[in-house]
Amino acid sequence: MTEAGSVSEAELHAYADGFLDEVDRARVQSFLAENPDAAQMVADWQEQNDELRAAFAGHERSKPSDIQLLTGGLARTNTRPSRRFALAAAAVLIFAAGALGGHYGPLLFERPDIQLAYTEILPREARNAFLVYASEVRHPVEVFANEETHLANWLGKRLSIANLKVPNLQAQGFKLVGGRLLPVGGKPGAMFMYEDQAGQRLTVLVGRNKENRTTSFRFASVNTVETFYWIDGELGYAVTGEISRDMLRRVAEECYRQFPS
Amino acid sequence: MSQSPDQSTSGTAREAQAPSPLSFEAQILALLPSLRRYSRSLTRSDTESEDLLQDCVEKALVSRGQWRGANFKSWAYRIMTNLHLNARRSVARRPSVGMEEAETLAASTSADDPLEKNRLVQALETLPKEARAVLLLVVVEGYAYQEVADMLEIPVGTVMSRLSRARQALREKMREENVIPLRRPR
Repeated sequence: MTEAGSVSEAELHAYADGFLDEVDRARVQSFLAENPDAAQMVADWQEQNDELRAAFAGHERSKPSDIQLLTGGLARTNTRPSRRFALAAAAVLIFAAGALGGHYGPLLFERPDIQLAYTEILPREARNAFLVYASEVRHPVEVFANEETHLANWLGKRLSIANLKVPNLQAQGFKLVGGRLLPVGGKPGAMFMYEDQAGQRLTVLVGRNKENRTTSFRFASVNTVETFYWIDGELGYAVTGEISRDMLRRVAEECYRQFPS
Repeated sequence: MSQSPDQSTSGTAREAQAPSPLSFEAQILALLPSLRRYSRSLTRSDTESEDLLQDCVEKALVSRGQWRGANFKSWAYRIMTNLHLNARRSVARRPSVGMEEAETLAASTSADDPLEKNRLVQALETLPKEARAVLLLVVVEGYAYQEVADMLEIPVGTVMSRLSRARQALREKMREENVIPLRRPR
């Protein structure tokens, strides 16, 4: 901990949890820059943190029956009624409820909106887009591949991505069909469609991610439709198709290489 | 909050020596949402979670005399953590999830996305309960390592080793399937 260049595991945890001051944070950061394995580990921890918080955030809420919890008035199977404090509690609760009404009243019984994480929205919308558009014969896209430059400029502008490049998947055996604008997570997003020589199609979705974080590649599968998705800073990407996982993964990795970081 | 002599007729309420009996209940009530979140994260179903929450509230009310006026929230969290750890020690782990719980499990998961949340929460359930509690207190409840040590009356080194064990175990679980680390070639 004392010598420069050495970082303890405890410090890595503190870094992941945001407990370090500026000096230590910078020191750990430069350590991580030189130790990709440790950096990956810390990134995984931080991702766990995000997901755990998201998983339980929705449970932080009041219930109308909360007052009864305090008065012991809630029925349940394995309980022994504890009346001793019930009366006293009921008496003071009259005040408590009044006092709280002023401070917490509007908040207390309001359910927080359930907010879906972008990591949940992205694969679902990617799958839906694939299911809706990939089966279209005449109008699978709005702008066809013969206007690729226009397609890239147009969608880049709508997504506020400078120099948006349409991924080239020729090496994987897929050529561009075209693309379209569509909503992703309530914001303008881009979909590119490709097909191989057999007419097998896949789609690549790009959306804006307001959470601004980065994830690993993730895989979601529903029936025969497979989706690989990842988030890279402010943008989310998803590759969807009814092709083998292995092929889809290769396509996803190729897209990752080609999209600007 | 001033009390006129006529207003409070209950002697029991007055006997409590914590600063004021009124603020005690009010504080529990205000704390219920976050206690509920913590309870749900420790347990495996909404049913278990509400039972633990109710136990915690009862225990807090009964042992209100032990509260010395210092950090109320930590005190309540400690009660819940201990209840949970002790309950699991005495009651043998149930072999499988019952019908009632199966329903709430299904309801609380996103039917559309089999990934993400569900896999992580499932992985969470395989952790030793002490390690799980420490991880959740730090990550979800936002306690500093020393605060967790004080709350659970364990050395901070133990907090760190439990945290480390929890994180490594989750990482391995999550890596077992489907998640591939990103590597951008330079």
